[in-house]
Amino acid sequence: MSERIQLSAALPDAYRHLARAGRVAEKAAVEAGLDQRLVELVKIRVSQLNGCAFCVDQHTHDARQLGETERRLFLLTAWWETELYSEQERAALELAEAMTKLVQVQDVPDEVYQRATKVFAEEQYVAVAWVATVMNALNRLGVTSHKPPAER
Amino acid sequence: MSTRISPGRVLPDQRRQLLDLYESVQKAAADAGLDPLLLELLKNRVSQLNGCAFCLDMHAREARALGESERRIYLLPVWREAPDYNAQERAALALAEAITRIGQTQDVPDDVYEEATRAFTEQQYAVLVWSVTVMNSFNRLNVTARTPVPEPKR
Repeated sequence: MSERIQLSAALPDAYRHLARAGRVAEKAAVEAGLDQRLVELVKIRVSQLNGCAFCVDQHTHDARQLGETERRLFLLTAWWETELYSEQERAALELAEAMTKLVQVQDVPDEVYQRATKVFAEEQYVAVAWVATVMNALNRLGVTSHKPPAER
Repeated sequence: MSTRISPGRVLPDQRRQLLDLYESVQKAAADAGLDPLLLELLKNRVSQLNGCAFCLDMHAREARALGESERRIYLLPVWREAPDYNAQERAALALAEAITRIGQTQDVPDDVYEEATRAFTEQQYAVLVWSVTVMNSFNRLNVTARTPVPEPKR
């Protein structure tokens, strides 16, 4: 993997704001009563779609620390085929995927929006949307930087 | 067009963070000596790819207010085929498109990276990536919320 300019180091002030945005989104999710493991699933799935190795490594590590099972992480790339994820998790994953695939479809379809707003309270729904948005931003920086996963 | 929940309205603190980030990147762009017109071209192109009408309406106006020509905005979706954009703008547009499309391609290809880092200083390059990243965030929120464009002025 080639070495590239590291974007978080190049604009430290911008990075500080983005990191803060991430923390505010997570705090909003927890305050809205969402399980942190659901939040991590969303971050991992978005990072898988965007191809960010650093982010997938970071958030699978964080998810395991939170007590997430190996099996649910292994099967996340085919979540819709299994019964391993709750109705809320499925709605969150579906919303996050639609938001991440914007460039392919130029829309978040009505049925996705409706399923998400049916299973989540408004505060929960917006927290998931923000988590997916911030993760997409971090993925863009990570992928463009070719940021390597941490040594473990 | 249905009315949807707006993530920015429900979590104003979070919105403030994103606006602070935007301001910080705009300042870094000025410090790095980047032409605001170039940034507006990128914001328009990214919003075209993501299908954000609200963002297009805002940034087409801003580009025009900065003196951008109508024609260069019309030809933006087909910039590769048009002679109206210089080598720097082409390198920046290719970079912006690649960053926006990572959900499809999972990478920003080496040739795009190399072209961009050749055409711009390191700091300018970094600011371009950040600017495109922030625009992508605004696009996600506004498309998801189906934020309506303002009524046309008569």
